Amino acid sequence: MDRLIIQSIEGRILAGISMFVAIMILIGWVAINEEARMAAFREQHLGRSIERGAELFAANCTSCHGTDGLGAGGRAPGLKNPHLFGFDPLAEPNGIIAAADRAINSLNEEYDELNTELMDAETPPSAERTDEIIARLDEISADLAEQNETRDEAVAQRETILVSLQTAVDRGLYPQWQDVPAEDLTQFTQTNGNRLAQVGWTGSLDGYIITTLIHGRPGSGNVWPNSEGMAAWSQTAGGPLRQDQIEDITAYIMNWDKGSEWTIEDFFAVEQYGKPLADGSIPQGPPKETVGTDVDAILERWETDGLVGDPANGESLYNGATYGCASCHSGGSVAPATEGTWTRISENILILPEFVDYTGEEYLVESIVDPAVYDYPDDAYAGGAMPVNFGDRLDHQELLDIVEYLKSQE
Amino acid sequence: MSILPFPSFLDDVKEKGFKKAVFEGIDESVERLTAGMNIQDIREALRGEDPSRRPNPRLQPHADGFWLHMRPAYFNRDVTGLYPTFRLGWLSTYFVFFETITGILLMLWYTPSPEIAYGNMLNILNNVPLGQLTRDMHRLGAEFMVAVVALHMMRTWITASYKKPRQFTWFTGLLLLVITGFLSFSGYLLPWDQLSLWAVTIGASMAEATPVIGEQVNLLMRGAPELGANGLLRFYLLHVLLLPALLFAFTGVHYYKVIIHGHSLPPQKENIGEDSAKRVPLDKRVYFIPDVLTNELMWIGITTFIITVLCIWFYHAPLENHADPQITPLGTTAPWYFLWIQGALKLGDKFIWGLVFPGVALGGLALMPYLDVTVSRRYAHRRVMLSIAMLLISFATITSYMGLAKFAVKTSAETEIVHHLTFEPAHSHVGIGRTIPYSQMIPGAYITTQFHDEDGKSEVTIVQEVNDETFLSGEFDQLLAELSAQHLDPAQMPNRFRVVPESEAPVLYHVMEEFGHEIEEFPNELPNAWGALIITDNQDGLKRLDFVVSWDSVVIEGGDVQLDDDGNPVFVYEADITPVVDDSGNPVLDENGEPVVETVLVTDEEGNPVPVRRIYSDHLFIHRDSAYFD
Repeated sequence: MDRLIIQSIEGRILAGISMFVAIMILIGWVAINEEARMAAFREQHLGRSIERGAELFAANCTSCHGTDGLGAGGRAPGLKNPHLFGFDPLAEPNGIIAAADRAINSLNEEYDELNTELMDAETPPSAERTDEIIARLDEISADLAEQNETRDEAVAQRETILVSLQTAVDRGLYPQWQDVPAEDLTQFTQTNGNRLAQVGWTGSLDGYIITTLIHGRPGSGNVWPNSEGMAAWSQTAGGPLRQDQIEDITAYIMNWDKGSEWTIEDFFAVEQYGKPLADGSIPQGPPKETVGTDVDAILERWETDGLVGDPANGESLYNGATYGCASCHSGGSVAPATEGTWTRISENILILPEFVDYTGEEYLVESIVDPAVYDYPDDAYAGGAMPVNFGDRLDHQELLDIVEYLKSQE
Repeated sequence: MSILPFPSFLDDVKEKGFKKAVFEGIDESVERLTAGMNIQDIREALRGEDPSRRPNPRLQPHADGFWLHMRPAYFNRDVTGLYPTFRLGWLSTYFVFFETITGILLMLWYTPSPEIAYGNMLNILNNVPLGQLTRDMHRLGAEFMVAVVALHMMRTWITASYKKPRQFTWFTGLLLLVITGFLSFSGYLLPWDQLSLWAVTIGASMAEATPVIGEQVNLLMRGAPELGANGLLRFYLLHVLLLPALLFAFTGVHYYKVIIHGHSLPPQKENIGEDSAKRVPLDKRVYFIPDVLTNELMWIGITTFIITVLCIWFYHAPLENHADPQITPLGTTAPWYFLWIQGALKLGDKFIWGLVFPGVALGGLALMPYLDVTVSRRYAHRRVMLSIAMLLISFATITSYMGLAKFAVKTSAETEIVHHLTFEPAHSHVGIGRTIPYSQMIPGAYITTQFHDEDGKSEVTIVQEVNDETFLSGEFDQLLAELSAQHLDPAQMPNRFRVVPESEAPVLYHVMEEFGHEIEEFPNELPNAWGALIITDNQDGLKRLDFVVSWDSVVIEGGDVQLDDDGNPVFVYEADITPVVDDSGNPVLDENGEPVVETVLVTDEEGNPVPVRRIYSDHLFIHRDSAYFD
């Protein structure tokens, strides 16, 4: 048996068993440390991902987003940007204002209830209860004053911050906030408080960045004067980059996040901010007063306000894209032709028995705001084709202008 | 009584009592499972005693059982030690099973698609407990297996065990060697990193040298002109299905032949021309049960232990960046076991050295037992054959060395230097620029001229002078323009060079010194050169390192610097080129219709021509956590 290296069978069995036990111990030891090793690897991998992302960003993104990531030359928004990462300097005053508003509301309700009880003539409260109510009303008044004071302070604080941010506002932060009515400012600053809220993205920030990188920003060339719009960067969407490269760039951009360390100063460093989407988050002046469908009320209103129609403006509204009247009423094949409207009304319509006490103007207004009342007598046109919602869309001046224009069509 | 036609267990209990009945039942089951050995037999075998009953029950499992039917019942004592086999055949078989087991574990976490294969690798490394260890073991086992199988062949060659009657055994062994090589090679592609893609691309382009069918075979392998989704799937199927199936089949054939002819004895143990392997004298017999069996189990333990230790502390399977067909890494090579072909390719014609040479070498080896019909296996009688073996080993070693990227591949000096500083981790090496600890990357611009000790000037003085010189000569402006072209943030541009802070950043100091030495190694290619390193902050936890080389341009033809009669490089000078115009202001044309130009060399104040100054740079980003250097 001199050729088996370990001579005795006991020796071989012992050596073999020791080796297997040693392997088990080693693997067990590795297994115990796996969690820490895997975490370290993830960290290391994220680091390398950021490095590769930095390289890709430098080569592909800096010409629009700036070498420092702060935005450049009217081409694209800054990404090293507290607004993008959700740092909201108005969060504190807005929070105070919202809390005060809630408190004021509930105090007011309670005040009204107690007041009703006190003033109830049929079942007046007992003398004891009356005293109690009066005492409580005094308390509520004091609380209301206090809440209003807190609210005013917060509003003033918010105003101060907004004013101090003027440099950033000039570059697109809180666009045109000065035009927002005071009562809407809380709502406005909340929907514009960070980029994700501004564009209505309900997912995570890195998801937003990945999506934007993959698909680009169709149409962003229209809002950035010197840009042709952000192209799709992912191979998925016909761009040049692989998914892992998209993720690398995202990791690099996410590495700009300072978390709770952002300061007001960081807002001033950003060269330009992302543009809001046209979703009504930007103030557009007071809503217009529409005419409704009550023909008599409309005519009476024109009378009392002394409104004067402008047929030229009426013509452009009639032919424009907003209301699109001409798209059906030209030529006379789909709907009665524009030409000769006024003549037809006086010669063909008003002679009919049902229009005995109508004026031509009245008939026109009714046909526009409430077209279902009467179908054109000629069977040439399908009934019900005329939209019924013009009463909710036109204001008085617009309607009058259109009517004046139609009166000129003899 | 039992209703069965034979006594039931209950009958046994009634007859013999419970204890005895149970014991006999177990004993009988053991004997059936082992195909012949009962508990007493096993006990005796493990105690090293002789069998107590006849016929010898330890031979029964070989005769009646499946698992041992191919293992001989006893070996010749002369072949059970280290010499002459060095246990290489056993080790090869061991690795076949080792690779199968670790490979199946890895298959659980792998999908052969370029979109997610690399992500799978990361997942194995950062999310699968013991994933890294399994992958390391599979990879290291594969490298060992190729080496062990090759050494096994060399051993067989040297001890002349291929001779009659073992010619066919040798032939199947050679097949197994080729299959092993391709198994390892096909596994190379699966991680879908840069190393995979380019090693396999090079390997596949070698195959393209085959006349007539080369291109078609290549297309068949890759599934497309470029390696992509189809190629990865095909390599995967080769790796996990076709090649393993072939390997197992031929392992069976090979081992069957080994046993049929018996393990060949050491040459000096038999008479010339005799083959006594099948006739083992009684006193030379080492029985499989228990001696060889316990020995093999012990070796499984020892070998696995060694691999485990290596994979925990000394070896980690490489994983480079995601495969990218657009970026060809500098210095790509085939896997080490194909380096000999890659080196041979540098000797000349692709067809001859890439195909004829390996074909002839392998074909010659396959036919060798049939051509070499001399009977003696003694070393003294085989001087020519042993010389040929040694020559082939030497030749393969030399061509393997030649296969390395550093041999006879022309890259411009500045690219070579900067690459050496910046390259990403590959083959356990990393660019020395990446070895600077994060804390020592102190922002600033540093220049290698600092280390030129001129007349004992202090480093501070040298750097001050360099600042003045480079400003005056416009070299500094050229540097800024280059950095700007590389998208360095204008706000971060350096305004002067500074002295490397040796006490705060010793590694940075060392790297700059090394940078300077490397530039000095190319006095002809890079005359009057300096290297610079510009370190800037990019993000929190992220620095940018720009490595720049600036030098006087010289005439280079075919990768070599043109030297004048004195052995000095020929410079390229700055020149003003103006088209010659006639009196009416129209350009003058020569006989070919090309405009005639006048070339005037630009001269400095002393009337000497000014060489064109050239600049080259590359940069990398380093994150605090990326840990290239622990």
